[in-house]
Amino acid sequence: MQANKPQNFYKNVSEALAQPNLKAIIRRTTDKADAKRAEAVSNFPGFENARTQGQKIKDHVIKHMDHYLAEFEKNAKAQGAIVHWASTGEEATKIVMDICKQHEAKKITRSKSMLGEEIGLSHALDHSDMERIETDLAEHIIQLAGDPPSHIVWPAMHRSREDVVKLFRSNHKSPTQSEEIIDLVRSARRDLRTKFLTSDIGISGSNFLLADSGSSCTVTNEGNAELTITPPKVHIVTAGIEKLVPSMAHAVPLLRLLTRSATGAEITQYITFHNGAKREGDADGPEVSHIVLVDNGRTKMLADGMEEMLRCIRCGACMNHCVVYKHIGGHAYGSVYPGPMGSVLTPHIEGLEVANKQTHACTLNGRCEEVCPVNIPLPKLLRALRAKSWSKKYEPITNRFVVSAYAMLASRPKLFQLSSSMGVVMMKLFSRKGWIQSMPFTSGWTSNRDLIAPESKTFMQQYKKQRKSSNTAEKQQ
Amino acid sequence: MNKQQEAISRQKIFDAIKQASPTAPANIDAIQKEALELLSLNEDARPAALHDDPSIALEMRVEKGLVIGTSCERIATLADLPNAVKTFFAKHKLPKVAKVQETEQLQSLDWNGIGINADIIEDDTVGVCLAEYGIAETGSFVVSSSKDMPILLNFLPLYLVVAAPKSKVLAFMDDYALIANDIAKQGTTPRNICIISGASGTTDIEGVLVQGAHGPEFLHLVIVDDL
Repeated sequence: MQANKPQNFYKNVSEALAQPNLKAIIRRTTDKADAKRAEAVSNFPGFENARTQGQKIKDHVIKHMDHYLAEFEKNAKAQGAIVHWASTGEEATKIVMDICKQHEAKKITRSKSMLGEEIGLSHALDHSDMERIETDLAEHIIQLAGDPPSHIVWPAMHRSREDVVKLFRSNHKSPTQSEEIIDLVRSARRDLRTKFLTSDIGISGSNFLLADSGSSCTVTNEGNAELTITPPKVHIVTAGIEKLVPSMAHAVPLLRLLTRSATGAEITQYITFHNGAKREGDADGPEVSHIVLVDNGRTKMLADGMEEMLRCIRCGACMNHCVVYKHIGGHAYGSVYPGPMGSVLTPHIEGLEVANKQTHACTLNGRCEEVCPVNIPLPKLLRALRAKSWSKKYEPITNRFVVSAYAMLASRPKLFQLSSSMGVVMMKLFSRKGWIQSMPFTSGWTSNRDLIAPESKTFMQQYKKQRKSSNTAEKQQ
Repeated sequence: MNKQQEAISRQKIFDAIKQASPTAPANIDAIQKEALELLSLNEDARPAALHDDPSIALEMRVEKGLVIGTSCERIATLADLPNAVKTFFAKHKLPKVAKVQETEQLQSLDWNGIGINADIIEDDTVGVCLAEYGIAETGSFVVSSSKDMPILLNFLPLYLVVAAPKSKVLAFMDDYALIANDIAKQGTTPRNICIISGASGTTDIEGVLVQGAHGPEFLHLVIVDDL
């Protein structure tokens, strides 16, 4: 599957809506995640306090980011790690590729990292003479399918069991003939086991960076991160600079929030802190450890007054609860980060000029903010991006014309009422049994669903009529 | 990217941060004080303990099925561990081969009838190791890398038996994290610290939970009253 582009958002959306099973496939996972999250939250009376604490921890780090970055660098170096700095995604990818070449690596194992996708590392590895091996089961599935991820927690949620059967049968060395999910998982375990043990370099992301020890932290259910990182001689971590926390004790409240918000689990099975290279005498572990700290738009968020977005711990709860995401899925957004968080992040990574349409793909119902474990005011940030997009004149000329026309009408009550009445009459002409299937200038809506027919009178007409009748009733009394 | 280019990127990042927050930077003491105060919020922001005794709370969590793929038992002393492992073999109908962590405390036990140096790559091998800590809040055990603790011992086998001393079962994750913070202050953090809370699992295919994705499918926690 070819990766979509963010600037083609409307086309991507049309294609997504035209897929007959996509919505059902997405809802199968997101609805389950919603229900499990709700249960996890109801079993944790301190959840609101934890959110406040999590928000405060992230805000504290954002406020003192330079201090914690310097602290992290100093402590990571003291533990033998080599720390690199990349102000863009291209720089980060180049650093990683250079390390791989320097070690003459042939096989590269990777545990799931959205930052790795963000900086284009998969693409760079695929265009080199090295073999890229994704070890998270979902990433393994989409690598075999040639798909981009469609969700930050379940990147292969758009693939059905039948798809996985076909992919494994044509790619695994000794594939299962069974179509049972347990056997498919066993098949992946068998296929990846040797690859883990013969890899030259393991690349991971990091859920948290601990400033006081210089450690990076991986969080998985499968245990693939440790199997990716431990056997090879070299470990490379790529991490966004916003992943910092002062210490492990500060990571713990965020871990409680992360797992409950992502999957509804009280905790994930594997939380591992990786600290520098293997110590002398250690039974196993990589001999060389590199950490690439990546900006790629994060300091721009600070400068643009979007620092609240840097609280994000990548749980995916906002997309699981987003009515738009549930209809169109992740690929339509055309970027690594879909859903509400992606609609705020992508303009800072790829530019608002190419990713402004996503900021409008939001009903502003506020569900994303309600479920965000660190209280990110996503609707507020999306509105701010819309305003910026408008002031930069990134909106299509038709949108600008319609909004300007509306502004003109809305500031002239008489004209507004007249045009509303005319609109109601026009819409009535196209309605059948309370619904409009098609009408000029509304194909954006009616091509995928019917439009509800308006009441026979406008709001103002009904209001005036009701006021008149209640006045008459009062006089009669 | 050469070192000079990376130094320029580093400077760019620090300059951008400074430019975005032009107020004078707080001194280190003030930052540390603020960071410490954030931890004082812990008490109201963590789940309730299942029992006042953390080791009982951990057992209760496992027995309630809240820890994926995990069973639990209590033994009086470490000398009882081989028998616990034999019972585990029988339960899962496994050949009596294990990979026992190469630490004096475990290797010196009477493993009569059990092969204890099997290859951990084989799926039917049982890994046996000693945890440093247990955590009641999450049903976890904690191991860290060292010369006698290969991290892979906890990930390669399909079956894993872990013994944890009762006296080292902590109530909350924070309790362990504060210990780790102290280790970090001394600059002696090990290469790896793993907090493991149940068997390996995945829900990546149609949201269905399957145990044993890459790591162990079955985990048996053994709490040792007197270690």
